Amino acid sequence: MLRPDINDLLTQTGPGTPMGNLFRRYWQPVLHADELPEDGCPPVRVKILSERLIAVRTPEGEYGLMDEFCAHRGVSMFFGRVEDGGIRCPYHGWKYNANGQAIDVPSELNNSEFCKNVKLRSYPLVKLGDILWAYLGDPQKQPALPAWEFATVPTRQTFTSKRLQENNWLQALEGGIDSSHVSWLHGGGPTGSGLEADPLFAGAKGNQYNKGDLKPFFEVVENDGGLLIAARRNAEEGHYYWRVTPWVLPNFTLVPPRGDHPIHGHFWVPIDDENCWSWSFDYHPTRELSEAEVSAMEAGAGVHSKNIPGTYRPVANKDNDYLIDRVKQKSGELFSGVEGIAIQDSSLQESMGPVVDRTKERLVATDAGIIKARQKLRRAVEALRDHGTEPAGNVIEHQKIRSVAIVLPPDLPFVEGIGDGFQAREGVPQTTV
Amino acid sequence: MMATSTNPLSACARAVTAEEAAYRIDYPLAHARSTRVIAFDESAAQTVASVAAVGWGQAQFYTASSSGDELVTLSGEPRVMIAEIEHSDSVIFAATDAMDPGAVASVGAACRERSIMTAGLLLLDSGPLSGTTLAAIRPYVRVLLVPADEDDLFELLKAIRA
Repeated sequence: MLRPDINDLLTQTGPGTPMGNLFRRYWQPVLHADELPEDGCPPVRVKILSERLIAVRTPEGEYGLMDEFCAHRGVSMFFGRVEDGGIRCPYHGWKYNANGQAIDVPSELNNSEFCKNVKLRSYPLVKLGDILWAYLGDPQKQPALPAWEFATVPTRQTFTSKRLQENNWLQALEGGIDSSHVSWLHGGGPTGSGLEADPLFAGAKGNQYNKGDLKPFFEVVENDGGLLIAARRNAEEGHYYWRVTPWVLPNFTLVPPRGDHPIHGHFWVPIDDENCWSWSFDYHPTRELSEAEVSAMEAGAGVHSKNIPGTYRPVANKDNDYLIDRVKQKSGELFSGVEGIAIQDSSLQESMGPVVDRTKERLVATDAGIIKARQKLRRAVEALRDHGTEPAGNVIEHQKIRSVAIVLPPDLPFVEGIGDGFQAREGVPQTTV
Repeated sequence: MMATSTNPLSACARAVTAEEAAYRIDYPLAHARSTRVIAFDESAAQTVASVAAVGWGQAQFYTASSSGDELVTLSGEPRVMIAEIEHSDSVIFAATDAMDPGAVASVGAACRERSIMTAGLLLLDSGPLSGTTLAAIRPYVRVLLVPADEDDLFELLKAIRA
């Protein structure tokens, strides 16, 4: 249960809101790089943190992210002409550079002097890996560029997709922290067969531990950037099989690896208070992804989704009841009847409504991970709001993190047993079973 | 690109709007049933007493005897452990490195036999966690917060409507 005021505090991310201010302390992924595929290409609308923006790539190759609407009459710059040095509104010809500064207003006699006072709000937009990242916060406090391993390994070692999720960002994040749902929703229920059916999970020894122990225990451990949420199952000879999910504030999680499969992870980025982008990625720290792996990811396997061509909306969505198959649900082939991890999650999280009323939920003691994450978010928001304290997660050290799967003796703190395994280190394989 | 059109024939598309969410039946949810919070050493007992002082709907707070067979209320009354947890739906273990593993095992086994949900908070001020403590408490608590503080216990109880 969460008080309504705290629910509002954590779910509202528009300009001027406390959580919105927190999000504006981080670089966030906003576009696939190939959405602006070449110099001088058409602009793309972007909506993030309840702000409507336009992204441009000038003929000179400069990226820009600015207020979507022309300062003159409020026309959408989606219709703008990308020209040398910027973008021109087709209505009356006002032209802006990549920073949103007006550089030509044809109707004005003293053109250059007039332009000085016309600037669209703009934000830095940078390409890192296959993603364009934006920073919507105070320029004086701009953090270092993102250091997440999935975005910094060579391009052929990483794959990223995104999908529209039609609910508040916090519902989606909490799904990533709530490890106890995995054995049910994604594991194929009592048969535990779901993992082996997916090419991006199949064959790992850890899958056997999952199948052999459907009631894991959990440990939630404080970490500098957020939390480490560990699921513990029985392994051989009294040992424990651990799967450790790092959460880094405010909206990044990594799924523990399986065998030599790539590592999966997510960003949940608020579009507005009732929609978010679910960014999903797979990367391998030391090898290129195989053609088969990439094909599977493109087809929507693992944490990815099959989207409607030309959009980022999943083929299975609320308009078609997520293509739920009641026969497969009844037979147990698909525990929820919905196909694919991503859609299994979105179908249930969207069903809660755009912003779930957390005063009506009935949490139990084993939801401690979610409870702890909310507490950390609230503390971070309040510390930033009341004292200007910088939140965790926006420094390189907190971002160079990995998820881990490992077998350890029963009396060892998993943090100690894993040691450097949590650190993203170039050329060093992930710690996995 | 963001398509948001909805199919009026789809049950889900109709159901997940904010307008429809407003029709969710509004009635008070019951408090959790018989939450028990047990401190397993003196330091943990101080934290538990501090949180208990806030006042809760139904949660009851104890310290465990060294055997674990007896629980002592915060007002000093001894109670039989089995009787106290018999009808509980969740038992929260609060402990530090000074806890008695025997007491944890005794209460933990009783909870397991009765399928009572358990959670543990290891209250540590500083320093590394003892492997002995972990090995002793891990088998008995379904979820363990490490390290935890007074605020964690407060938030947990609030969240579960204790």
